[in-house]
Amino acid sequence: MGGLVQKVKLFGEYIPWFQAMRDKGAIAFDELGLPTPKTEAWKYTKLRDLNTDDLVIEPSNFLAEMRVAAEEACGCHHEDGGCGCHHHHGEGCCCGHHHEEGECHCHEEGHVCECQQKLHVPFEAYVIHFEKGKMIPPFPDFPRGVEVMNLMEAVLTEDAKEYLGKVVDIKLHPFAALNNAYMEEGIYLCVHKNVKVDKPIVLINHTKSGEENIFFNIRNLIVLEQGAEAEFVEWYNYTGAVKSRYFANVVNEIVLGKNAKLSHYKLQDEAFKANHIALSVVKQKSDSNYHNCCLQRGANIGRNEVKVLLNDENASAEVNAAYIMSGWATLDTTTDILHLSPRTYSSQLVKGVVGGEAKGVFQGKIHIAPDAVQTEGNQLHRALLLTDTAEIDVKPELEIFADDVKCSHGAASGELDENQLFYMQSRGIGREEAKQILIDAYLNEALDKVKNPEIRAWLSDYAHAPQE
Amino acid sequence: MNSQKPEIIDESGDKYKYGFVTDIAADSAPKGLNEDIIRFISQKKGEPDWLLEFRLKAYEFWKTMKEPTWAKLNYDKIDYQDLSYYSAPKQKVAPKSLDEVDPELLQTYEKLGIPLKEQEVLAGVVAVDAVFDSVSVATTYRQKLAEQGIIFCSISEAVKEHPDLVKQYLGSVVPYTDNFFACLNSAVFTDGSFVYIPKGVRCPMELSTYFRINAKNTGQFERTLIVADDESYVSYLEGCTAPQRDENQLHAAIVEIVVNKNAEVKYSTVQNWYPGDKDGKGGVYNFVTKRAACRGENSKVSWTQVETGSAVTWKYPSCVLQGDNSSGEFYSVAITNNHQQADTGTKMIHIGKNTSSKIISKGISAGFSNQTYRGLVRVAPKADNARNYSQCDSLLIGSHCGSHTVPYVENRNKTAKLEHEATTSKISDEQLFYCQQRGIGEEEAVSLIVNGFCKEVMQHLPMEFAIEAAKLINISLEGSFG
Amino acid sequence: MTTPLLEIEDLHARVADKEIIKGFNLTINEGEVHAIMGPNGAGKSTLSNVICGKPGYEITSGSIRFKGKDLTKMSAEDRAREGIFLCMQYPVEIPGVAVTTFLKHSINAVRKYHNLPELDTMEFVKMVREEGKKLGIDNEMIKRPVNVGFSGGEKKRLETLQMNILKPSFAILDEADSGLDVDALKVVAEGMNALRDGKRSMLIITHYQRLLEYVVPDFVHVYADGHIVKSGDKTLAAEIEKDGYAEYTRER
Repeated sequence: MGGLVQKVKLFGEYIPWFQAMRDKGAIAFDELGLPTPKTEAWKYTKLRDLNTDDLVIEPSNFLAEMRVAAEEACGCHHEDGGCGCHHHHGEGCCCGHHHEEGECHCHEEGHVCECQQKLHVPFEAYVIHFEKGKMIPPFPDFPRGVEVMNLMEAVLTEDAKEYLGKVVDIKLHPFAALNNAYMEEGIYLCVHKNVKVDKPIVLINHTKSGEENIFFNIRNLIVLEQGAEAEFVEWYNYTGAVKSRYFANVVNEIVLGKNAKLSHYKLQDEAFKANHIALSVVKQKSDSNYHNCCLQRGANIGRNEVKVLLNDENASAEVNAAYIMSGWATLDTTTDILHLSPRTYSSQLVKGVVGGEAKGVFQGKIHIAPDAVQTEGNQLHRALLLTDTAEIDVKPELEIFADDVKCSHGAASGELDENQLFYMQSRGIGREEAKQILIDAYLNEALDKVKNPEIRAWLSDYAHAPQE
Repeated sequence: MNSQKPEIIDESGDKYKYGFVTDIAADSAPKGLNEDIIRFISQKKGEPDWLLEFRLKAYEFWKTMKEPTWAKLNYDKIDYQDLSYYSAPKQKVAPKSLDEVDPELLQTYEKLGIPLKEQEVLAGVVAVDAVFDSVSVATTYRQKLAEQGIIFCSISEAVKEHPDLVKQYLGSVVPYTDNFFACLNSAVFTDGSFVYIPKGVRCPMELSTYFRINAKNTGQFERTLIVADDESYVSYLEGCTAPQRDENQLHAAIVEIVVNKNAEVKYSTVQNWYPGDKDGKGGVYNFVTKRAACRGENSKVSWTQVETGSAVTWKYPSCVLQGDNSSGEFYSVAITNNHQQADTGTKMIHIGKNTSSKIISKGISAGFSNQTYRGLVRVAPKADNARNYSQCDSLLIGSHCGSHTVPYVENRNKTAKLEHEATTSKISDEQLFYCQQRGIGEEEAVSLIVNGFCKEVMQHLPMEFAIEAAKLINISLEGSFG
Repeated sequence: MTTPLLEIEDLHARVADKEIIKGFNLTINEGEVHAIMGPNGAGKSTLSNVICGKPGYEITSGSIRFKGKDLTKMSAEDRAREGIFLCMQYPVEIPGVAVTTFLKHSINAVRKYHNLPELDTMEFVKMVREEGKKLGIDNEMIKRPVNVGFSGGEKKRLETLQMNILKPSFAILDEADSGLDVDALKVVAEGMNALRDGKRSMLIITHYQRLLEYVVPDFVHVYADGHIVKSGDKTLAAEIEKDGYAEYTRER
């Protein structure tokens, strides 16, 4: 066993429309294969290190557990004192996580367990927990007009049927095809017409390193109906042995109705040997706005790809990103903004800091379809190289088929400004501290685009310089 | 097979006169490409064994290669076995006088202000030798150049007269393994020019006049080699500013430039091959590999190109900046109209320390044409303090054309400072109205604005070239507005 | 005897389905200077653009005649060649095209229209330099691309220079005083006064009275809601300066 393609028993094989989608995914992945250095969309992100030989896929237990929970709720099988949470109990730690013997410090005064820290965000939010790609109930209580389910439930109820698999074109994205083939868990989020969600909805996927190298696929489907507004945050983190080579393959399908507004933030903080490949595809109706900001700081290969289809007039998107890295990582930010209608607008600001022997990759594309006149698309990428062995590869691309448009892109890379460093040193600030200040400021330029100040502060806390 | 090289001596007995064009009078090779054809070409040209060897090795390698598909170009598949790799010009069909020449072509010459005699040459009414004193002009130049030790001749001639130089440098910048088209060229190249500027010599003239006339019949597979030794300078002009009816569908040329210590080479091109008709029928496929190696310290190379012709253009004049403090520049204007397609740009490879490069690219798309700027800036790990500035501006005229920008930037040195900017715009109604309000007609206003847009590049062309190139731009865009 | 130069009758015009000019009437005779004053947003610039034939403005009814010819059928450049000059509020930038190049194209296009020979380069450069000097435009400025990086004052000077060189029979000054300090304003006014020779006419479109202190008009019209609501002599301008436009906008 091992590798990206495995025979496992998956949920929903008896649902024809769903299984057909899965089969198509398997076939498409088989046809596309893993990207090679000759695959233009993966030109700079080499997948040699993906190392998939011993990956293990764990099928979902969610529905079985739900059934058990339902039975428990009727009072039949209460065994462990009515604990409302669905964590694995009995390991002796209150935080509900697996610890080696003697490792749990939960009861020491003032100590907050590491995994507890990684299960909470420092702002008011509706938090949905995932562990290794599997949803951990319960859900928080959502207000009226906000529907949240595990994707599998939404498949059973057919709520997901209208859009699932219809936003992303798996023929263009091999990992999305693979995600199709194995999709089980993820969030189905639907915000009804004109409903404005009062707090951010946060997905925390926490991976504890175990014996095995897990391969998990998360598929989220987010639908904002006409006039709806929401903030959605993804946070991928880990605890335990940092050397775990798990592989997270995430696909978000996002549909924005007329005048809907989604703010979408992400913090990718995976273990440094792990791999994280994510694709978000957004389809936008007229007057809708998609606002995205992603900070990547972990993983061996980390790729965050955002594709936005501005399908109707006056739709707008802002796709920003920051990345900071050291070690041997490759962090890839790829964007593809398709202006498909007149008077659509996009802007992008991506800033990166690359240290160690790491490699930063930025591929950004603005496509303007014929007749998509009076559109505006702007893009700027800037990167700092901190070491002699760091590398940055950039491919900003404009593809324009209409004449009455305003488009621009810019890319620059260089090192920290010696004059600025000296200036700070001359005011008594130590050189290392001065560097930190400059790097923080550099990345914050992108993170400042985050509208919610609490989320901005939270992301900002993670955007510190890597240790040299 | 005709193994005997035809000896042609003209009335004046000047052998050089035919040095370049002699073989044209000879038979064509049959269609197709195989080892025999290559031997035939080599034999026809009376080449030494090492060159035949070079060609055969290239051919062997070419057979293993695939035609590249990464460019944003759409064209019918080329059947390489359906081409003739050694052919005489179609002299039989040459018009007898200008009266028989396509009036559209003559109109263009008129607009460019090309002298009548020269028009006759360009239109193929008369052979180069019979009408224009160009060859003797060239010869005069040649003598003047020779006094300073400058070698300027056809590459075939150089193979015979300066074999050591050719052997040393041929394929040293663009090896036959480089790419599909370069490999093909290495196997079958017919002719081209060779320039050698010795140490400390500044070439006293633009090497241009000669070429303006002679470019007429340079074959499909042209090969140019320029070597600028230490402390030398040369400005080389390629191409012809007047449109030529060229029957050759496929052009796959190579230009290699070697620049040694403190030397400088300026290479200017105006490419104006037949672009096909208004419906996109016909036209030249132009697949060119141009590369300069800045080998010595403080060496400098500058490419300037104005590309208005060809149905399909695939061309990336590059600079390999090996020497410390070396610098490379690329100035380009590309204009596509009707159904033309161009995928063009440059590569700047920074290897030495303190190397710098500058890219200014101006693309104008009109009609149903598509144009791509494709560029690469690469900084090697040891290229400390590398600097690059790239600017790519596109202007779209009309709503059926496309303009694309695909720059690749690969930086492996933290001390490098790289900047890339690109913009896309159209001629605004405000600008047009402003010109019109001052009495300037629409067509004139468009040409004024377009020439303004290209100015940064045009000013790098030698004077006489620049004037014609400006006119050429207007002609290329005729009928594209309104 | 007075000869009419520009005659506008019952003009209605719209921009993108919105009617801006509604029943506008005005006759300007040779040698007269008229001022049109009106509140912001009254459509003053629309009026000048319609007279000059800017694309995007549609005349729905009425007529404009210039020197007896129907203007509405003429292209923008032909109207300019006939002698109408629009001194623009926000002249556009034309990158890469030097002022001299632009002016040469312009003046020769106008001359050609009137069957006059093209100016030779020496003659032309000399003229531009001389005219430029009067306006405080140095030789460096005329080498720069048209309006690119020009300050507000420089742009106005360049507009005035072009006007002085093309010597139009009718000049429209659209908010010619906006964004100018007093010195620059005087330069523009001098340029305009230099053109007043009893034959040439002018239409000054402005919000404030300021410019009219330097270029004294023969007639002043108050323009609101797409047509003239009151006409008078220069004292009207002073009244407006004192009382504002409220009276005229309230009337409706």
